[in-house]
Amino acid sequence: MNYQKLYIGIDVGSISMNLVAVNEDGDNLYEDYRRLGGDPIQAVQNGLSDLHRHFAGEEIIAGVGVTGSGREITGGVVGADVVKNEISAHAEAAIHLHPEARTIFEIGGQDSKMTVIRNRVVEDFAMNLVCAAGTGSFLDSQAKRLDISIEELSARAAESKNSVTIAGRCTVFAETDMIHKQQSGQNQRDILMGLCRAMARNFLSNVCTGKEIQPPIILQGGVSANLGIRRAFEEILECQLIIPRHNLVMGACGAALIARRQRLAETNGESRYKGRELCSRPIETRGFECSQCPNHCEIIEIIDSRKVVGRSGGRCQKWHT
Amino acid sequence: MTFSEDKMDSMAIQPWGNYALALGTSIECLGVLPWTQTSSTPETLSLGVEASPEFSCLSFKASTGHFIKAAKEGVRYGVMVNSRGTCRLRYYRDLQQQILRRHGMELYIFSIGYDGWKPPMIRYFDPPLMPVIRAGARARAKVLTIDLLEENAWHARARETTPGATSRTLEECLRELDQARTVKEIQTIKKRIPKRFAEIPVDKQKRPLKIGLLGESSVLRDKYLNHNLEEVLGTMGVEVRNFFLLGAEIRKIFNISFFSRHSRKNLRRIARPYLHNTVGGHALESVAYSILCAREGYDGVIHVAPAGCMPEVSVRPILRKVSRDFDLPLLECSFDEHASHLGVVTRLEAFVDVLQGRRKKKTS
Repeated sequence: MNYQKLYIGIDVGSISMNLVAVNEDGDNLYEDYRRLGGDPIQAVQNGLSDLHRHFAGEEIIAGVGVTGSGREITGGVVGADVVKNEISAHAEAAIHLHPEARTIFEIGGQDSKMTVIRNRVVEDFAMNLVCAAGTGSFLDSQAKRLDISIEELSARAAESKNSVTIAGRCTVFAETDMIHKQQSGQNQRDILMGLCRAMARNFLSNVCTGKEIQPPIILQGGVSANLGIRRAFEEILECQLIIPRHNLVMGACGAALIARRQRLAETNGESRYKGRELCSRPIETRGFECSQCPNHCEIIEIIDSRKVVGRSGGRCQKWHT
Repeated sequence: MTFSEDKMDSMAIQPWGNYALALGTSIECLGVLPWTQTSSTPETLSLGVEASPEFSCLSFKASTGHFIKAAKEGVRYGVMVNSRGTCRLRYYRDLQQQILRRHGMELYIFSIGYDGWKPPMIRYFDPPLMPVIRAGARARAKVLTIDLLEENAWHARARETTPGATSRTLEECLRELDQARTVKEIQTIKKRIPKRFAEIPVDKQKRPLKIGLLGESSVLRDKYLNHNLEEVLGTMGVEVRNFFLLGAEIRKIFNISFFSRHSRKNLRRIARPYLHNTVGGHALESVAYSILCAREGYDGVIHVAPAGCMPEVSVRPILRKVSRDFDLPLLECSFDEHASHLGVVTRLEAFVDVLQGRRKKKTS
């Protein structure tokens, strides 16, 4: 039988869990984008079990990289070789697919980031602060309020001929403004496009302040699937954006590529991946309060077959695994 | 005033990193017990956030919370710095006193600052001269020892081979220092520091990245407010230098070392091409030290400020210019009570990745 060496990348974000498998040449062989639904560990297990089913036992997992805001616990659960922050992971994938890129916009469920790239090296980056205005979760909540799917919102916004101005500084005010416009009889398509423009403006003025935006610009992350957002950016920046082939799963893609690079560099040892049995094992979590200092960190322990495989929540080195 | 041992009052001191230990020593001569912590806690911060105006800075909220917690535990006095600079800090003591009064709490906050020859605390307690001088000497010795400890820890942590070893040694030393009562004891501890840190197993070949930490002093120093920046970076194998060292600061205030690199005059000279006047707080220092970092070959600087800090926010554009002119990567970190730990760590990791990429590019 012909075995195939695979490198898996897992990106556990706020809204979705993405899984990518690349081969030794870095080509993307498998991708999976699924909504978390509140249980990241279960989502990762389901994702991995689907992956193993897809390759039907003809795969050897040579390396695993994890990224995203859930990287810490996921790394412990699956036995990752590399745990990487999402900014570096996204940049890695973008540079791999589009070496000519000079700017990356990455808009996800709760975070939005811009990365400056020069000569295939990350030079600078910026990330949104506390406020989630200008991220996917806001679009999600607006779609829910209008009782349409997020895909529908994207399609309707893209059809607009004459967008209205929406105050995009703050999601609460944006919503008030949208309701006001809707009650005064504006077309829904135009309001939605106005929302997309407000989000793009917000991103450019909040996240990108003081950074040099040079084309070619890559737009990726969950929100890059939204046609209205794409159009808004292109209209404001007056240039074409590149939407990479795997735009929704670029983080996972980057994690897989980083795992591949690292595993190829080290000649000895096997991947720490725990194997496909992991998908069917129950994984428990347990929380307790550390009382060794007045910080009282809430430590969460991930337990796999009675063994603590990961901890999160600690602010000092005490609980590192 | 007479002091009886069993009914000693306590005095709350603002948590100012490990220096809180030294400051505690200095007020013992007044016949009060120090009530302090080396960092804010979630509890004190949330007390402070509830009681403070929303747009005051994080340092204000943290210290207000600290005083409220102290008042709840029956502490009668407190002490708070109020600078004579142009930062809002100069009003903080009065504002905090008002907040406490409005909450019906009887804690009197003394200020250290310029309002006459004798500090108000000395006027109130009127202690004999000698104990004050002795306490001052003890506190100074402790401050200098803490400075040395921190410097050794930054160096060792970036190179340690067993994670956590440096932090453990640091903690042990601090605990001993807290127990030390005389200048002599403090000196013995200080002398043993280099040896104790040399015992930590390190990778001697390693040339770690070097990052300078600049910005507002209480966030630079309070491990809770800055999300344990020094340790997080150290664990990633980065050597940091925190440019707020109280020893140097004291020298600066009294202008003892005219010829030192760190004298205010020298810093002003360095910052001159970018900044002609003081902005308040430690903003001038931030500019000067960022230039120094560039000259001394640091890989990058992190500018740390509480959200809404007037002086530090004012110099941010200048720091960006310095960063461009000297090709020195800069990460701006604003902290408030909502900042998520994971978000901070993500930024730091990405910043370290950027610096590593740059270094690789330079060497190849």
